[in-house]
Amino acid sequence: MRPFRLFLILVAASAVALPTFAFAAKAPAPKRGLTPATPAGPLSFRLDVMPVFFRAGCNSGGCHGAAAGKDGFHLSLFGYDPAGDYYRLTQQIPGRRIDFAVPAQSLLLLKATGMVPHTGGRRFKPDSEYYKTLLRWIEEGAQDDKATVPQITGIALSPDKIVFNPKEKPRQLQVIAKYSDGATRTVNQLALYVTNNKTTADIDDKGMVTPGARGATFVFARFAKFTTGAEIIVLPAGKFAWPKLPENNYIDEVVDSRLKNLRIVPSALATDEQFLRRVSLDLVGLLPTPKEYDAFMKDRDPRKRARLVDRLLERPEFVDLWTTRWAEILKIRSDNNSSFGTDRKAASAYYDWIHDQLAKNTPLDQMVRAQIAGTGSNLRNPAVNLYTMLPAGQYDAKAVAQDISQVFTGVRVQCAQCHNHPFDRWTQEDYYGFVSFFTGVKRKVASEEREFYIYDDVNAAPAKHLLDGHPVPARFLGGDAPDVAGKDPRPALAEWLTSKDNKLFRENMANRIWYQFFGRGIVEPVDDVRISNPPSNRELIEALGQHLAGYGYDAKRLMRDICNSRTYQLSTVPNETNRDDDAQFSHQHLRRLRADVLLDSIDEVAGTSSSFGETPNGYRAAQLFEGVSRSNNYFLKTFGLCGRDSVNVSETRMEPTLAQALHLVSGDTVQTKLNRSEVVSEMLKDKRPPAAILDDLFIRAYSRRPSDPEKKKLMPLVAAKPNDRQTWDDIFWALLNSTEFEFNH
Amino acid sequence: MQNDRRHHCSGPIYPTAFGRRSFIQAGLLGGMGLSLPDLLKIQARAGEVRPSTQALNRPEGPAKSVIQIILPGGLAHQESWDPKPEAPIEYRGPLGVVKTSIPGVVFSENLSRTAKIADKITVVRSITGHIPDHAQATYQMFTGYLPSPAIQHPSIGAIVSQNFGPRRDLPPYVGVPNVPSAGGTGYLSSKFGAFELGVNPVQKSFQVRDIALPKNITDERFTRRRTAREALEDHFREIEANPAELDTMDQFYQQAYKLISSPEAKKAFSLDGEPDSMTDLYGEYKRNGTGPVIPIGRQLMLARRLVEAGVRLVTVMYNGTDGWDNHTRIKESVGNGMPAFDHAFAGLITDLDQRGLLDSTLVMVTSEFGRSPKINETAGRDHWARVYSQVLAGGGIARGQIYGSSNATAAEPDRDPVTVENFLATVYHQLGINAEDRLLAPGGRPIDIVRDGRAVPGLIS
Repeated sequence: MRPFRLFLILVAASAVALPTFAFAAKAPAPKRGLTPATPAGPLSFRLDVMPVFFRAGCNSGGCHGAAAGKDGFHLSLFGYDPAGDYYRLTQQIPGRRIDFAVPAQSLLLLKATGMVPHTGGRRFKPDSEYYKTLLRWIEEGAQDDKATVPQITGIALSPDKIVFNPKEKPRQLQVIAKYSDGATRTVNQLALYVTNNKTTADIDDKGMVTPGARGATFVFARFAKFTTGAEIIVLPAGKFAWPKLPENNYIDEVVDSRLKNLRIVPSALATDEQFLRRVSLDLVGLLPTPKEYDAFMKDRDPRKRARLVDRLLERPEFVDLWTTRWAEILKIRSDNNSSFGTDRKAASAYYDWIHDQLAKNTPLDQMVRAQIAGTGSNLRNPAVNLYTMLPAGQYDAKAVAQDISQVFTGVRVQCAQCHNHPFDRWTQEDYYGFVSFFTGVKRKVASEEREFYIYDDVNAAPAKHLLDGHPVPARFLGGDAPDVAGKDPRPALAEWLTSKDNKLFRENMANRIWYQFFGRGIVEPVDDVRISNPPSNRELIEALGQHLAGYGYDAKRLMRDICNSRTYQLSTVPNETNRDDDAQFSHQHLRRLRADVLLDSIDEVAGTSSSFGETPNGYRAAQLFEGVSRSNNYFLKTFGLCGRDSVNVSETRMEPTLAQALHLVSGDTVQTKLNRSEVVSEMLKDKRPPAAILDDLFIRAYSRRPSDPEKKKLMPLVAAKPNDRQTWDDIFWALLNSTEFEFNH
Repeated sequence: MQNDRRHHCSGPIYPTAFGRRSFIQAGLLGGMGLSLPDLLKIQARAGEVRPSTQALNRPEGPAKSVIQIILPGGLAHQESWDPKPEAPIEYRGPLGVVKTSIPGVVFSENLSRTAKIADKITVVRSITGHIPDHAQATYQMFTGYLPSPAIQHPSIGAIVSQNFGPRRDLPPYVGVPNVPSAGGTGYLSSKFGAFELGVNPVQKSFQVRDIALPKNITDERFTRRRTAREALEDHFREIEANPAELDTMDQFYQQAYKLISSPEAKKAFSLDGEPDSMTDLYGEYKRNGTGPVIPIGRQLMLARRLVEAGVRLVTVMYNGTDGWDNHTRIKESVGNGMPAFDHAFAGLITDLDQRGLLDSTLVMVTSEFGRSPKINETAGRDHWARVYSQVLAGGGIARGQIYGSSNATAAEPDRDPVTVENFLATVYHQLGINAEDRLLAPGGRPIDIVRDGRAVPGLIS
């Protein structure tokens, strides 16, 4: 794994991101002032006043926007509830916050300017336009808007992309708000700005972008409930020559065209040895055997890499590995004697069903539809276990809706449960509309206690909006409300979700596949898709999504494209131009092996097997249908196999810990395998010379032969007793404990 | 469907720690272009702003070590620290009380040994929480924050680990047997995470796993293994250009080697040499009298050995015998699990005091919330966060004090309410950490160690 630096940046949903947002307080008073939304007539509360609270940070999560307000005064977070804010300002405590007699003495203004003690300090100065706007509004009687005030319908940035040449001067962004009456307005002074990477481009509180170190990033402007980004590219100094490189397929074309624009040269192609090991681990979760190694290395066919990919895609272990990945994000785990339909039998049936689909290579869209729209017995139609495993207990339509959105589109809608999503376009209306697809799902126990019927109660009420409790009928995320009166709404949802035109679905599915081959998604993390977390290469994710949909959602075909691309086959060793790149796929990265793959690899190298309690002998860790949630295997737990408690991809832990190092160094896993292994004893029995034994062990663990310096250091260790099993076990131990073994590279 | 009371709440889920972090934060700051001087320029409201990836080696406070005892599930304050013998029977519950060494103060009947050392501890009877939900309240108990979908906060153990680093080559933060996901490192680097033992010390012959070499591995062979591994690492380091990954791996291997070759560490991670009198002091209880040993006595004995040897914060998870989420039959459930705790806890405090370690070791007993004022129809109590009790002892905490009170039905705080934030801030204060300091989270975002947390002067001696 690698740090996902760039896009972890805008994760702050609940607090004032003090240093990244530039505040008005530091800004000199603008010369021309704020343009009122309606130049004639009084100022509007929603269009002129609310944006000041937003810009000055008054309604942010760390201040009065907190759920309970701050110091006795509450504003809705980022202004999602203007009517409530108006009430609290003017009527909640009459005469306290607004002083009609002496407007300048209003507590609102005294606090905001720090004239009286204010926990939040001075937000702006009395000579600022923000102050003048508030003062004028109070002088005009602090009126609420007429019913027909235009709504903000969106914002645009101009320009929406900037390419800086070396040493170029800062450039100004314009933020243009569009209103429902067709009007537009420049709101540079009212928007908030943030950069995803300060090193590459900084943005100040007026929207001025200053280029920094070479690279690509995004800057964002936020205004009202809208966030829009502009891509900023900063080119490096010095001459740049793009080398002539072969392009294997469309993936290389879009990646290379991006790299060319960024003046990054990709790394060299990985060797055959590296490719063999990498693609075997990625597709089947196993290391190549010495036999496979020999055959591949001897093969002279220029198409041998593509042929290897084809062979691996047809292996049964491919189905095991990828079923497990699905089982993890679908939370397949059981609870014995469960009264919620999560019996072992259900978990096993669900796992087997997914296994079958992958073995048959059922198109992804079909597989997803069967789960989302399914009804009936969870043992005879196991796909419906989506509605037993995701809730993992009592059924909660909101939690199920959130999980389904995250698993199949990567969108985390939950922020919009309590307030409009601060960094995305989702509103509470979107949220409750999506939840309404699942409010009718019911579970009924069958005659057999472990069997549950899943069905939809067409008379169930839709979800209610948090703010005023109005029912919100089922509506697609960012789409229409289907006519599902008197019907189960889920088939319509399944159709919409998996339609070839649904970018959300096709690109998230493609990105999740991509992630398995690079250790990072094009949108990263793959299950946090939002406007403020844009893809590092938009053309790439679009191309992959279109191909996946164009292939009729044949996931294997997309995997084949990826594995055959030069991009996938690049070396991990960077050059001068791509050393700092970790988002543009200009080189491969060291990727730690997952816990199950690591344990299976140890067994494979040592020629041993592990036992997982209730499974038959010879089962591999990647075949455990409930993962580690039941097997209680110390190795798998310690190395971070996910417990299937949530749909988050990040639940699979990849970070090293002291307990892991201790376990590999002196724990029973490695030592037991070494004791049981007959790999070395067979070779000693066959009287193989020490150099040949060393070669064999290296090929097993690393898919390569030892280098000369390695031989020079290792052979003296065996020289004294070259026929001693213990000596060789110590070399074997070192191989299994090495970083090269534990990583895919 | 059978209406089983057990299923009215999903129950506490305690997956292992360090969820959600992709490993290796090294270089994160650099990647965002923040140099240390930049960071220091960011002015915090009250405290200072510090980066999240590097160890800080701060000066210590009066509490040099912490033993954090967690009773997960939501221990009933009525059936433990805050009984209401004068309340009507449906509030009072089924248990009697026992007089303590503080005049006029009683505990619930299963705390008879702790009652005798009440003059050494502080019971806070006015903790006010927020949400009676296991996962959220547990997260708050460890981090001081309610969970947010946008960011993971570090637990107190991770913060202690970052602030002070290892002492005498021992890992600073240890989980006996493990820590819940709320006890993870949050936005801090994963290198500040807990060393989880994985299993409880049940046998007297207990030895933390993997800390001793396998029997047939001599020092000579271990040296050969390490030499061979170095040769392989050298090669990989040369061909691969990602030093961050290699360095983190190497750091854990060096730590592992140190632990394995340190007789002191090996001793600390075992119960070796503890006399029978210690078993008597901490107690040895069996499930249903004859079943397996209830681990708490040996957990706390081991915790004492660990802090004595140099570990800075030990988290002890004790589930009782029936858990502490007692929606049903509270009398039996508490009755099964509490005596072993009572014996072990009183033993720990006595032991620490006798060794002169109590003033430098802060012991906390916390549960994520309390339980409802009225006994329910299944003879249990349900979740209740508006008021409950937690205990502090040692490390400069006042001795022999009941701080704050709940009202007559143990339903609302009556006097001196203490928020979860202030409770944690007090512990930080004793450790020498200002809870108002800010740490720099990803995105260059400074976040208070505990937001709105102030040490409570009345708790400190």
